[in-house]
Amino acid sequence: MNHNQQEIERELIKVINPEVSRRQFLKTWGISGMGFFLTGCGTPALEDLVGKISEPWNQKVEQLIFQPQKPVPEFSSNQIEPKSLIINSFRGTPIIDLEKYRLIIDGQVNHPLNLNMREIQSLPYTSMIIRHVCVEGWAAIVQWGGVRLGDLIALAQPHASAKYVYFESADGYYESWDLPSVTHPQTLLAYEKNGEKLPRENGAPLRLATPVKLGYKQSKWVTRVTLTSKLTNFKGYWEDQGYEWFAGL
Amino acid sequence: MNMDIDRNSTRKPQKLPKQDLAVKIFHSLNIVSLFLMITSGLQIYNANPVFGGRGGLHIPPIFTLGAWLAGGRHWHFAAMWLFSVNLFSYGMYILLTRRWQHRFVGNNDIKALQKTDNIKRLTYSWHRIVYTAIIPILLLAICTGMGMYKPAQFPWLVDIFGNWQGLRIVHFASVPLIIIFVVIHWQLGKRAGGDKLIESMFW
Repeated sequence: MNHNQQEIERELIKVINPEVSRRQFLKTWGISGMGFFLTGCGTPALEDLVGKISEPWNQKVEQLIFQPQKPVPEFSSNQIEPKSLIINSFRGTPIIDLEKYRLIIDGQVNHPLNLNMREIQSLPYTSMIIRHVCVEGWAAIVQWGGVRLGDLIALAQPHASAKYVYFESADGYYESWDLPSVTHPQTLLAYEKNGEKLPRENGAPLRLATPVKLGYKQSKWVTRVTLTSKLTNFKGYWEDQGYEWFAGL
Repeated sequence: MNMDIDRNSTRKPQKLPKQDLAVKIFHSLNIVSLFLMITSGLQIYNANPVFGGRGGLHIPPIFTLGAWLAGGRHWHFAAMWLFSVNLFSYGMYILLTRRWQHRFVGNNDIKALQKTDNIKRLTYSWHRIVYTAIIPILLLAICTGMGMYKPAQFPWLVDIFGNWQGLRIVHFASVPLIIIFVVIHWQLGKRAGGDKLIESMFW
């Protein structure tokens, strides 16, 4: 494992300390004053409990202030920051045969779709220059070009009962979104980045792109879009580890 | 408290300072919530690969709260409610009770700095200047925090600070400023009224 990998594991992923289990920790220290907080620093003590109390409320607020059809202000092309767009992936980069590639749209729809890249690129093209924000705290202004996900889904004729959308990716990554964010006018399935064909590392042939959600929700190498009426216990790769689901910006 | 003491006259026994209960509560909640905001904020900072722990200075775990990025966010986005609601309520209280007229920096303090040699008076002025000056810093921390949390819903907040980097710099600068403030504030309070004054803010 190289140094960078270790860094990532330490900061972004919860590492269970085998020497002190949470139960042992709580037994030893109890819940007594600031001393508890001080010794809680740097350990997982309480954080998921705190999250369980505050995150549902925070996500309600986020959904309240989200404006499903209002475009976010965009930037001009001289503001693009190509070097700032860091590439993260949880499991390397898949190799996809672009001729054999198909995008499946199914689930709670009247007319499931099975599209190749030619068909997708024949649909109306939308370009936008927006700010990409990662949960790690960095941001980059980037141009994305592609097809409006809302238009694609409309072609599949979703049922009235459809409320959520699951995304499967070629590398095993999975995500789920609320339907209003999916149909936001600036949510695209992108095949172009900064004026060029979308590179493999950035998610080619198709990736999610939007200014209204954190980066980890914007799946790369999307292969399947499934409309559902309910969320399962598996809400997304990072969500299932403890990151928030709505993740609206 | 009458600060114009004539050093040559016999000293009257000093009255024990008394603070409103509301002030003690707001002030203490400020301390607790700021502690949570800073430690969880440093946890979040540690995860940044460009302008943070993974790209520069890494904060030792003893100073962080949450253990990992998601944990730091849970604490930060929970405590932010306590911090901001308490701060705004404190502000409202200060305005409505007109506490701002006699407990925060005023023209008399500026004049005193220019004219008097009385050390006690000067200490008192500096004490009030410092704890008044921290208020805009705390408000800036909240504004830049909101800009980073919801840049799509509040794009004008990001624009005020220029760009993402400006936003982050101002937000993060509040950390050393607040820490330095705490040290100076404590020292000035001690010098202005001794342990009695310090204790009066808590019980």
